[in-house]
Amino acid sequence: MKCAPFDYVCANSVEEVVKVLGEADGDGKILAGGQSLVPVLALRMARPSVLVDVNRVPGMGRIRPVEGAVEVGALVRHSQLVEQTHHPLLAEAARWIGHTAIRTRGTTGGSIAHADPSAELPVVAVGVGASATVAGPTGERTVAADELFVSALVTSLDDDEMIVGVRFPLPTRWGFAEFSRRHGDFALVTAVVAEVDGRVRITLGGVAAVPQRALAAEQVLADEGTAHDAARAAAAEIDPTADLHGSAPFRRAIAGEMVRRALVRAGIE
Amino acid sequence: MSVDRADGTAAAPQATAAAPAGATEDKSGSLGRNVRRKEDRRLITGHGRYVTDIELPRMRHVAFLRSPYGHARITGVDVTAARDAGYRVFTGQDFSHVVLRAQSALPSYVETDQPVLAHEKVCFSGEPVAAVVAKDRYRAEDGLEFVDIDYEALPATVCAWQEPEVPVHPEAPDNVLLQRTFDAGSVTDAFTAADLIVERELVTNRHAGNPMECRAGVALWDAADGKLTFYNGTQVPHIVRNMIAELMGVPEGKVRVVAPDVGGGFGVKAVLYPEDVALCLMAREMPGIPLKWVEDRAEHLLAAAHARDHRYLIKAGFASDGTLLALEADVTCNVGAYSVYPWTAGIEPLMAGGLLSGPYKLDNYRCTVRGVATNTAPAGPYRGVARPASVFAMEAMFDDAAARLGIDAIEIRRRNVITPEDIPYKMPSRLVDDSGHYGECLDKALDALDYPAFRTEQARRREAGDNPIGIGVALYNELTGLGRAASAGPRMPFRTGHDACTVRINPDGRVTVISGITSQGQGSETMIAQIVSDAIGVGYDDVDVRIGDTDEALWGFGAFSSRQAVIGGGAAHNTAVAVKEKLVKLAAELIEAAEADLRVVDGEVYVVGEPKAQISVAELARVAYLESNRLPDGIDPGLDATTFFDPIRGAFAAGAQAAAVEVDRTTGELRILKYVCVEDAGRAMHPQIVDGQIAGAIAQGLGGALYEHLVYDDAGNLSTGTLLDYLMPTSAEVPDMVIGHVSHPAANPIGVRGVGEGGTLGPNAVLAGALRDALGIDVNTLPISPASVWKELHP
Ligand SMILES: Cc1cc2nc3c(=O)[nH]c(=O)nc-3n(C[C@H](O)[C@H](O)[C@H](O)COP(=O)(O)OP(=O)(O)OC[C@H]3O[C@@H](n4cnc5c(N)ncnc54)[C@H](O)[C@@H]3O)c2cc1C
Repeated sequence: MKCAPFDYVCANSVEEVVKVLGEADGDGKILAGGQSLVPVLALRMARPSVLVDVNRVPGMGRIRPVEGAVEVGALVRHSQLVEQTHHPLLAEAARWIGHTAIRTRGTTGGSIAHADPSAELPVVAVGVGASATVAGPTGERTVAADELFVSALVTSLDDDEMIVGVRFPLPTRWGFAEFSRRHGDFALVTAVVAEVDGRVRITLGGVAAVPQRALAAEQVLADEGTAHDAARAAAAEIDPTADLHGSAPFRRAIAGEMVRRALVRAGIE
Repeated sequence: MSVDRADGTAAAPQATAAAPAGATEDKSGSLGRNVRRKEDRRLITGHGRYVTDIELPRMRHVAFLRSPYGHARITGVDVTAARDAGYRVFTGQDFSHVVLRAQSALPSYVETDQPVLAHEKVCFSGEPVAAVVAKDRYRAEDGLEFVDIDYEALPATVCAWQEPEVPVHPEAPDNVLLQRTFDAGSVTDAFTAADLIVERELVTNRHAGNPMECRAGVALWDAADGKLTFYNGTQVPHIVRNMIAELMGVPEGKVRVVAPDVGGGFGVKAVLYPEDVALCLMAREMPGIPLKWVEDRAEHLLAAAHARDHRYLIKAGFASDGTLLALEADVTCNVGAYSVYPWTAGIEPLMAGGLLSGPYKLDNYRCTVRGVATNTAPAGPYRGVARPASVFAMEAMFDDAAARLGIDAIEIRRRNVITPEDIPYKMPSRLVDDSGHYGECLDKALDALDYPAFRTEQARRREAGDNPIGIGVALYNELTGLGRAASAGPRMPFRTGHDACTVRINPDGRVTVISGITSQGQGSETMIAQIVSDAIGVGYDDVDVRIGDTDEALWGFGAFSSRQAVIGGGAAHNTAVAVKEKLVKLAAELIEAAEADLRVVDGEVYVVGEPKAQISVAELARVAYLESNRLPDGIDPGLDATTFFDPIRGAFAAGAQAAAVEVDRTTGELRILKYVCVEDAGRAMHPQIVDGQIAGAIAQGLGGALYEHLVYDDAGNLSTGTLLDYLMPTSAEVPDMVIGHVSHPAANPIGVRGVGEGGTLGPNAVLAGALRDALGIDVNTLPISPASVWKELHP
């Protein structure tokens, strides 16, 4: 469990990161908090030729409230998200990530880029309709969260692109519920309820390869249905797979229950 | 997690062993008090010395190449690329002359060979096939990628109760390595007479001890002396020395095994592994170069001993008043690919059959146990050996019968449990129970739980339709400190009943104890120092204890079977008494008093009735070593002794556990509202250490009951290969516990009963019983998970 050899570059600017990644020709990797990347390296499941350490790149460690949203720099640690008060949903979600040591190192950009289907921040990102600011060789572009997540651990980012920040709209009402085997584990199911621009969005993590909107359940609410009915619709519209921690019907049932709880917490009965 | 003592004293206060000056009666003993642990300063301040910490000149690092197949023939081995790249490589052929062959004289036992590095075929995923030596571990792992092994896959068997397509060992075509039937009375007649027969099929989950420190070793062959030094994170250094010497054909005096600080063991480190032997053999090939191997967690989960993968087909007959009339069982234990060295494939099955009836009276018993090989990691000793599973099976019989007969689950146990009046009680497996204090433990446990209050709350919730709660209990008798008569079970070519101890009063009057016991963090040094300081009458702080080095200690079998307090402690006590006899004799001559009138307290010798000390231990020691001119006739120089102790039989430790749990009907989640354990440690030498042992064992028991599961797919791949998938309880999952004690000293020099393992025995049974009580569902497989409970609720 020791990583294969690699070159190491400690970058001082976004331009340098993008340049080194470009020169690596698809064989480079950004190192942020290292909480997902290092285990993968240690298991030799990834063997990049060069690691670009972004931890010294200035200007990406801040949280900035703006009109109707909060802008989170790529290097903002999960523990900072827990402590901030501008975006209560983000704070609540970040509390559920791993343990103290992981939250102290792990970053927002890293979590979004890693695109783990059971991770909390991607679900929140899709849940509130966040967008990422992405830097590449030709400058910056903005990518909506639901276009960012392609599949499990796969994003639409190019090999020489870097997330520099994420803009999370502020929901007017929200609820969060998660089910995991142990305190601090990746979620079996996460449910995020967020009212954005007058529409209640319901998003589930852990039930598919990417965070999944429960559109049928949202429609139930739009049609004045109850939380209970919406939860049932959510459970019905997803297609979870079985794993060591439970059968598909079990995950479906848990997903329904988490939706119900998140709705109740959002004040929607 | 926090621990409350059932007597309400919460965490017992820290005390130091200061002795009252001028006392003539020994009121100052350290036994029974929470003296500061000898180990604390170094372990808590980061000054522990683990194998990982050892750095020697010219040291090289080893990485093992492991089989990616559960079962395969090795058809080609090519190491040229690795050698060309500059690596030193060893393969199975290099050591094909050495095999590990665990022996037992039991009639049905099939002996099989375990290679040091596999060469003809691999029998489990993770089995070592080659080793690479390099400057550091990173490079060693790089080197593994240059070694080419060709495999031809064979069908794998991972389940012990399925017919093998291709047996693991040709010597055992049905994979059965050992089978034995326990038989007492007549079950057939008793079942005919029974008013109720309950029958269940129960399957327990494979899991493992998973100590915080994985396995580790540093081996150095000294060419000048032809001597091997092996630093090894082991629980059994003397056994390792004995076996390594034999396997390598080296005189035993030329092998030194050192177990420095060891970060947990739980039985996993009571095994001699092929990696250990490989490391020593490789060191002999590379004289003067220390070779270091520190196992990582992925290797540990793959290849260190697993345990508890059992199936019980069990049937019990009861009279209408709840009396247990007969018990019949067929127990299959998945022992993995090899008969674990040196304990054999018998370790789990024989324990399961020998103690299945536990603390209950039973005349008619028939139980067939077998150890079955499969293409999985070898199963070995793990804290509680088989008993967490067998207690689960036995208690299920009572819970089931109680419900069917309409008798209270507590009451049915009371009607069957062995009582003090029955002692000595010969169990149907012919083991002799010397305790009988189960009822007392149960009473105290129910008191501490506040049983009536939970029953009231349970009724209220039923009425209100709230999430249900349930109460579960388990009683058990843990066989500890097994002497030669009790340790004879697996009929191995050695009997583990004795340990030796050396006690030496140094010329300055302080004491050095060289004990054959080992420690993996239990506070064993503290225990030995307490025993010796009390037995001689010197201050606890004036006693140093040295353990773990076979060049220093004469003999000790090591840490397993909750044996060290009883046996190593007994040896320390007896040896200290022998040294004290000489000390007192010397003092009597020098101060011209009668030996019988002398008392030694905190390093000073008093004559009964006189308030002032007459002579100090330090002065006596000086005479003994340096001033032979003052030595009385007939007394030799020196103040030391070495003796062995064997308790011949064992001491049963009674225990009862009880819990109240709440179940979330929608998610299947189980929440422990209160967890209680009452045990009989005999004389608790250090109450805090005793509580720590019990709490830690219960935490591991809860891990097995609720989280830990090593799962193989049908091809023999481990699906739970990292701690991401193999879930262990963290402090957040372990509930607060209430620990209570009864104290019935056992018949050994210090009156102790072992407490190392008992805690693991209860949780499976307690939680399964509580779920049945809450929901009326049977728990037939472990672990209990939200998904498994949910499935029962939504059939
Ligand atoms: C024991 C443990 C438990 C955990 N539990 C949870 C949990 O419950 N929930 C949860 O969500 N997470 C959990 N994590 C993961 C943790 O949150 C990680 O911190 C996070 O997923 C990745 O962030 P990082 O900064 O550590 O990224 P890294 O590990 O440094 O990188 C992860 C990936 O993202 C890429 N990357 C990093 N930054 C950027 C960027 N700015 N732009 C583009 N690509 C980038 C890297 O190249 C790499 O491929 C856990 C981790 C551990 C070790």
